Amino acid sequence: MVTFTGLDWFWAAAFLLLMVGGAFLFYRLARRSESDFFLAGRGLPWWLPASSVFSTHTATDTPMWVTGVIYAHGLRGLWYTFFTAWTAIGSFVSARIFRRSLAYTQAEWQVMRFGGLGAELLRGWMAGWQVFMNMFILGWVGIAMGKVGYLVFGWPVWVGLVIPSAITAIYTLAAGYWGVVMGDFLQGIVAIFAIVLVTVVGLWAVGGPGEVSARLVDMGEAWRLDVFAFTGLFSGDFPAAWWLTMLVIAVIGGFGMGTSIDWYVEAQRIQSAKTVRDASYGLWAGGALTLVRNGFWAAVILAFFVLAPNITNVAEYELGWFRMGFELLPVGMVGVFMGAILAIHLSTISSHLNLGALYFTRDLYQRYLNPKASERTLVWMGRAATFVLLLGSFFYGLMMEEITAWLIFALWLMMAGIWLPNILQVVWWRFNAWGYLASWMANLGVSWLVVWIFPAFGVIPPLPDYGQFWLLMALGAAVFLPATLLTQPEKMDHLVHYYVQTRPLGWWGPVQREAERRGLIAPQTKPEQVGRRPLIRRTWTPEEAEGWSREDWMAIILSPVVYALIIIGVARLLLGQLDGALITLGAIGGAFLLYWVIDPKLRAVSVEYETKQARYLEELERSVRWDESALDAGAEG
Amino acid sequence: MDRGLVTLIGMSIAYVASFAGLAFAYWGWKKHLRPDREEETP
Repeated sequence: MVTFTGLDWFWAAAFLLLMVGGAFLFYRLARRSESDFFLAGRGLPWWLPASSVFSTHTATDTPMWVTGVIYAHGLRGLWYTFFTAWTAIGSFVSARIFRRSLAYTQAEWQVMRFGGLGAELLRGWMAGWQVFMNMFILGWVGIAMGKVGYLVFGWPVWVGLVIPSAITAIYTLAAGYWGVVMGDFLQGIVAIFAIVLVTVVGLWAVGGPGEVSARLVDMGEAWRLDVFAFTGLFSGDFPAAWWLTMLVIAVIGGFGMGTSIDWYVEAQRIQSAKTVRDASYGLWAGGALTLVRNGFWAAVILAFFVLAPNITNVAEYELGWFRMGFELLPVGMVGVFMGAILAIHLSTISSHLNLGALYFTRDLYQRYLNPKASERTLVWMGRAATFVLLLGSFFYGLMMEEITAWLIFALWLMMAGIWLPNILQVVWWRFNAWGYLASWMANLGVSWLVVWIFPAFGVIPPLPDYGQFWLLMALGAAVFLPATLLTQPEKMDHLVHYYVQTRPLGWWGPVQREAERRGLIAPQTKPEQVGRRPLIRRTWTPEEAEGWSREDWMAIILSPVVYALIIIGVARLLLGQLDGALITLGAIGGAFLLYWVIDPKLRAVSVEYETKQARYLEELERSVRWDESALDAGAEG
Repeated sequence: MDRGLVTLIGMSIAYVASFAGLAFAYWGWKKHLRPDREEETP
């Protein structure tokens, strides 16, 4: 247990009041409409979604998990946390496409991308899954806070589960997504302050950055400073094959939608941005800040390892970051640290309360139960759904110690079995609703076979994680590819409408040609018609910027490289390594180059799209009320 | 409780929720179905 002085209580209470009060102030904006309650009116500048991406990804259980992988693996454990890098390509591909769709949720996007009964079934399926998953994630994160409350104050676990979540629900109920995103901004500042503070104090407790590295060398643990300390190509507890698989899942996943469990949360942030450009930068900056955070955590956790190297109990060393904060900070600052823990907890809880309520309100209640509902009714339904999610999270949180194992199983399998279809739905025109639905259904059975049943009966040996991933992908493809090719493509009218609105990347040739034939988009200029162009073009007309060009591909390649340099550079810099400083400088230079290459194009795309957005929004609202003539009108121009 | 059993229960609940959403979708689609949309089924 930690001793709290009056000053500590003051700081913890002051931070709580600031974060809750600051968020609550926006309740007047939230009650205006469904769009305000769930998307802050689609008018946010890039830095607000960015801070929300960071804050939401920094939950109470996150420092436990990051501590676990860094304590066990050293700096190579950073690659586990690199899953955030889906935002590297995602910011410039899937975010751009999804923002242009204007869909409130990933479920709603299904009926824009696909058509007919298959698309509708997908929407319902995904909405049900997301309502439930958000409730579970709330319980999962809530019980982590319960454990922190027990560690710090000796409170019963249910106190930490119920009280902070109930406080969060007050401003989430009142101020909706406005409260979530403004609270996230304040909470992000508090969290960053505490993360930097604990890293500085932790490193100096060992004797400074260079001393942590020197002590690791003395202990015969120098490999912990190596981010590429593989144990073999396929053998050991960190084979290169696993590293490569994680890299592919994260980086290539950025071409798709839903390839990471975080996609569903970030989709809401993408839609709340005021332009396509703001959506891209919001997602990119939020991801980058998350990787910087991981670098700071990695450095201080290695300091913790130096101080306490022989802990074998995972549950014990996972609390290393919390221990560093509570045991090393002076009187008064312990209260600030507790305020920061509350900050990271509140931001995640509020996001998932609002997101779960969004799926219920938009995709189940409004779509299927009351399509003619007024804006006022929808806001109140959003509040009611938020409250039900809160109660559900208490119920599941109390079960969670038993349930955690299956939740991790569920998250992993959802990522493995439908990873490829999540990309194909974005980049391949011929992929259809029945193929995508088949991939979800196939995964239901195949995942059990590969992970539990076949190994149990000796049909196949127990596979490492990377083996499971590739096998699940292959078996899934054996189902969803025939399902796609044996059923009809989506109707061309529907595809043309979607294509003209979102201008997706990938294999869309037949749809593009049909859109050109109908005069809905300008014919693509052939290279020989353009003549010489600069290596990097920085002047675009809005029409020219609509297509995908060399500049987009440069961003697609450069962005993951910058992300990798950030996470490696920051961690090694904080450990006093010279190459860390050089790598960090390379990351900063790369980020500026990325901006220089892609910004003119993003500006032009945003200008062009904003001239059409009001019409597309009107169509979207007619569509959710089953007035499908909206789509027909769009396809005909 | 056995880990496998817990996983089975947990996954079953998750899929029940998803199938409930799917059933809602089918009901909604049937309710709003116009005859000219029937050709959209595979």
